Order: sequence, then structure tokens, then C-alpha cells
Amino acid sequence: MEFPIAGVTINPVLLAGVGFLVGLLGGFFGVGGGFLAGPLMFWTGVPMNFVVGTDLAHMTGKSIVALRRHRALGHVDVKLGLLMVLGTIPGIEIGVLVIEALKASEAVDLVIGSIYVVILLAIGTFTAIESRRALRMIATESMEIGEVLGFQGVARRMRSIRIPPMISLPASGLKEVSLWSVLGVGLVTGVLAGMLGVGGGFLRMPLLVYFLGVPTHIAVGTDLFEIMFSAGYGTLAHAINGNVDVLMALVMHTGAALGAQIGAVSTRYFAGPRIRLFFSVLPFVGAVVVLIRLLGGSPI
Amino acid sequence: MKDDDKRTFRRLARNFLIELLIYAALVIGYFVIVLRVLGDPLSQLFEDNLVGYAVASLGLVVAQGVVLDYVVTLLLDFFGLDRLD
Repeated sequence: MEFPIAGVTINPVLLAGVGFLVGLLGGFFGVGGGFLAGPLMFWTGVPMNFVVGTDLAHMTGKSIVALRRHRALGHVDVKLGLLMVLGTIPGIEIGVLVIEALKASEAVDLVIGSIYVVILLAIGTFTAIESRRALRMIATESMEIGEVLGFQGVARRMRSIRIPPMISLPASGLKEVSLWSVLGVGLVTGVLAGMLGVGGGFLRMPLLVYFLGVPTHIAVGTDLFEIMFSAGYGTLAHAINGNVDVLMALVMHTGAALGAQIGAVSTRYFAGPRIRLFFSVLPFVGAVVVLIRLLGGSPI
Repeated sequence: MKDDDKRTFRRLARNFLIELLIYAALVIGYFVIVLRVLGDPLSQLFEDNLVGYAVASLGLVVAQGVVLDYVVTLLLDFFGLDRLD
């Protein structure tokens, strides 16, 4: 079936299937899944500028629903989220400018595809290392002292950055944190969202927890709050520049809505570091898929 | 696995398959509506007025997000397939 806005012909069932897979992973692992949706869309033959914009559009609907649940559980630091949004918006604009410049030089597929490959390999490697460490801890029922001190030391050094103005974030239990740190987290993840069409949770989460010191459960809810704004604003910014095929986003979301619920239910039955180790394979699959297209492989 | 557990698992699997079939039928109907009915007007809006297209796109994805969550939740509850929360 032809999608006239992006100018590509794709089976809508395949697109809904991609949405289902991404939703399933999102529901199961608590990630947005944009890092996998992008490569899969690219694989189906969607031009990279439409991959970025359309991925953000499909994520907007999902994040609103997910946020509603976390908000009900009180896991959102609204003040932190809104302050991060102030950094995210210019970040997204930078990302959109980069995409437009790459479009003009006809290098968007190659450059963004290559960045995708690097980031996916990094995510896969990090997740595999973290899962293996968790499995080792379970096997030995202990944690090496270096592992504890290593992370705490990095976190402490990062939090010792004191550039005024300092603000307090009571909902996250933080008495003092530099406003610039919060804006910086928003800016960096905003650039990623605008440039790659991902929610940026894979980077925002560790930054919130280790860089700012936000408790993990608050970081998850606040991350979703932030994604809602970054994906929503990114959708508008990219749509104005002609990078969103909303029909494609709507079709993908039909699969994602079901996948997200099933994924969430599945966590009751399957969990633990072994599953995370399996998860670490998926970014590598995404990287291979993008590489195949970049090396001239035909779309499925 | 005990007999009771087996029975529960079989019931859940059957209900899940039924839910998938109903959802698939709904989605196919939805494809017809979205791709046939909205396809041309949205393409025209994309050509003529990108700001209008951007606002319409955002409105559509948000509305669909809320409606689909409601439909999926209803189906999961109806067939006894619990949600996480």
C-alpha cells in the first residue's frame, strides 16, 4: 500500500507488526523503543528524515498513555520535568536543523544511519555488560567493592559540580542541584530526539540517576513526562519541515498499543537479568539492519 | 505443572488468542478508515499547509493514543488478561 506523504509503498500489516514489536519491548523493558523502531522503519524502505519525524509522532501517543499510569502512581517530578523541557526544546531545534542540513546535502541516510549504528552498538554492549554483572552477583550473592565504589564515585563527582543558580527538587529528594545540570540533561537528550527520532530514555535515565541523583522510580516517571513533551514538540517541529508521515505513525501505533499492554503483563511471568541479556541482542540486530541498508541492501 | 495451573494457562492462552483476533479485526477496519478516508485529505494538507498538517498530526496521534489504550484495556479486562497496574 502506498503512503503518499513519505512516497513509499509498504504493507501496513508489516508496519503494525513493527509497532507491535516495539510496543512489546517497551512494555516489557520499560523503554520507549525508538532506538529499535527507527532501524526497522529504515529497513522497510522509509527515508531517514521520515523515520526520525514519524518515529517521534508514533511515540507521542504511547508516552501519554504510559505517563498517565506513572502520574497516578506519583512517580513524576513535575518541576524537574518542566525544567528539563526548557533544555529539550532548543535541543530538538538543533536536531531538526541538523536533519534539514543533511537533507539539503542528500546525506541524511548515511550520516544518521551511521550515528544509529554507533549508538545501537553502545547500548547493546552496555546492556550485555550490566546483565552479566547482575548474573554474576546473583551467582556469588555479593558485589565486588570496586563495582559499588566505582559507580558511587562517578556519581559523587558529577553531583559536586556547583554552578549557580542552585535549585531544590523536593519531589526527587534533592536539596541542591545546579539548574545548568538539569538544562544540560534536557539539551543533550533533546538533540538526540530531534536528530534520531528517539525518546532518549536510554541516555536520560542514567543521567537522571547518576548525574543528578534522582531516585530510579522517580526517574522512570519523569523520563516519560519529558518524552511526552520532547516527542510532541519534535513531532510538530519535524512535521512543519515535512518529515512526518502521520498515516504511517497511526498504523504503527495500532500494533504498539497492544504490544505495550502484553509486554507489561509479561513482566509478571518473565523477568530478571537473563531476559536483559537477551534484550542486549536487540540493539545489535538494529545495528545490523541499518548497516545492511547503508551498504546498499534492498528494503524488505 | 499442576492440573489447575495447566487449566489456568490454557484458559489464558485461549482468551489471549480470542483477544488478538478481535483486535486484528478492529485494526483491519481501522486501516480502511485511516488509509482510505484520511489518506487523501491529509496528503492534500501536507502539500498545501504544513503548519496545519503538523497540528492535525499531533492531534491525531494524541487522540488515537487515548482511544486505543481504552480499547485494549477493555479487551484485556473483558478476557481476564490482567494489566500490570
